Amino acid sequence: MNGTTARRGLTSGCNRLVGPHDPIVWRKAIPIADTDQLKHLLAQCSLGDRRAFEALYRSVSPRLHGVALRFMGRPDLAEEVLQESFVRIWNNASRYQSQLSAPMTWMINITRNQAIDQLRKRRERPLSDLDAQMLVDDSPSAHEQLNSSRETTSLNRCLDELEGMQRQSITIAYFEGLSCSELAEHLSAPLGSVKSWIRRGMERLRRCLES
Amino acid sequence: MNYQTPSLRRALAADYAIGLMPPAARRRFEQLLLEDSELRAELSQWRESLASLTQSLPESPVPDRVWRGVTARIDPQTMQLPVKRPFWSWLRVTIATCSLVAAVTLSVIYNRDEVRYSATLRSADAQSWMSIEAHENYLKIKPLALAKIEKNRSLEMWVIPSDGKPVSLGVIPPGGDGEIKLGSAQKALIGESITLAISLEPEGGSPTGQPTGPVLYQGVLSAL
Repeated sequence: MNGTTARRGLTSGCNRLVGPHDPIVWRKAIPIADTDQLKHLLAQCSLGDRRAFEALYRSVSPRLHGVALRFMGRPDLAEEVLQESFVRIWNNASRYQSQLSAPMTWMINITRNQAIDQLRKRRERPLSDLDAQMLVDDSPSAHEQLNSSRETTSLNRCLDELEGMQRQSITIAYFEGLSCSELAEHLSAPLGSVKSWIRRGMERLRRCLES
Repeated sequence: MNYQTPSLRRALAADYAIGLMPPAARRRFEQLLLEDSELRAELSQWRESLASLTQSLPESPVPDRVWRGVTARIDPQTMQLPVKRPFWSWLRVTIATCSLVAAVTLSVIYNRDEVRYSATLRSADAQSWMSIEAHENYLKIKPLALAKIEKNRSLEMWVIPSDGKPVSLGVIPPGGDGEIKLGSAQKALIGESITLAISLEPEGGSPTGQPTGPVLYQGVLSAL
């Protein structure tokens, strides 16, 4: 994950904002989500540079919005998560450590934490049968989604290498933020099996990605 | 639990990264992360792998209102300080005047409330954020730059004695300006070459009595 795949152009919704601002900055910043550039923008943000923050926002918000939508499943909730994520990115920019993680990974992780907090709050009410059904149905469709936009990448090869239950439990744990026992309940499987699916699956995924 | 076995460290970091740990174990792990840079690197590797799960998600156009929402959440925090409610302002002036009168009176009577040590607290990028003056019974805090802290967070000051285990001195007043009273145990820890540190904590301070969040600023006391 290094952000270099996010090289698609922006949609009209965002381009409308370009006009009143400095056009030179935007034309350069929008389509390029180069890792070094993102690092530079984050460093500027940590010094309180609002212009850099806006450039960063233009560059990565469509990608993080896609991520938030995947987590929340509802546009209104996804927008809330996206907004809070950017507030956190701004407030915590000085804590980003470029030697530890790629900027995109760091920002995705912030978005994921926000999303999971919200999902957990919403789950404090008991899950309805419909919700529960959606959770279980969710993972194959996630895989289909991956399939549909698939380019031949090492990632896909690595995901394919996982066994069905490994992939399913990792996907649900990652995107739903379920605890191990909740996961066991939803998959109707023993706790020990779920733990071992996730641990082995993650180990396999990482080794494959690193190879 | 033995955190030294490489395979166990790796497995624990994996559990933490994907979110399998129960809350108590999470907190213990976060405590370890503060002191263990290799563990932080291990965790980052897992996060990198997991983030790959989002790689194929489609981008989605963002409505303008999100950016407006973001700026609205960021701006008030930087502009809040000058806007003070008249009552509180009046109360503050009164309290300030009273404390000044009291301080002057006391200092005339005892003449011992001088600054004993001072320190400038800096962030990792060497920016100065606060100056601290240690008096006999309290620490005086003067913000040098405006820290942006979320509403549900507090900054907590720690003294780090020679045995390395931080002792809380208390939560920094909102706005960063003010004093922290020292108890007798805390007074005994203040001295030349002692490190002060400020960590980011949940509102009201660390629930565990030890720092749970990252250390944002630190500095060393020197005698005047």
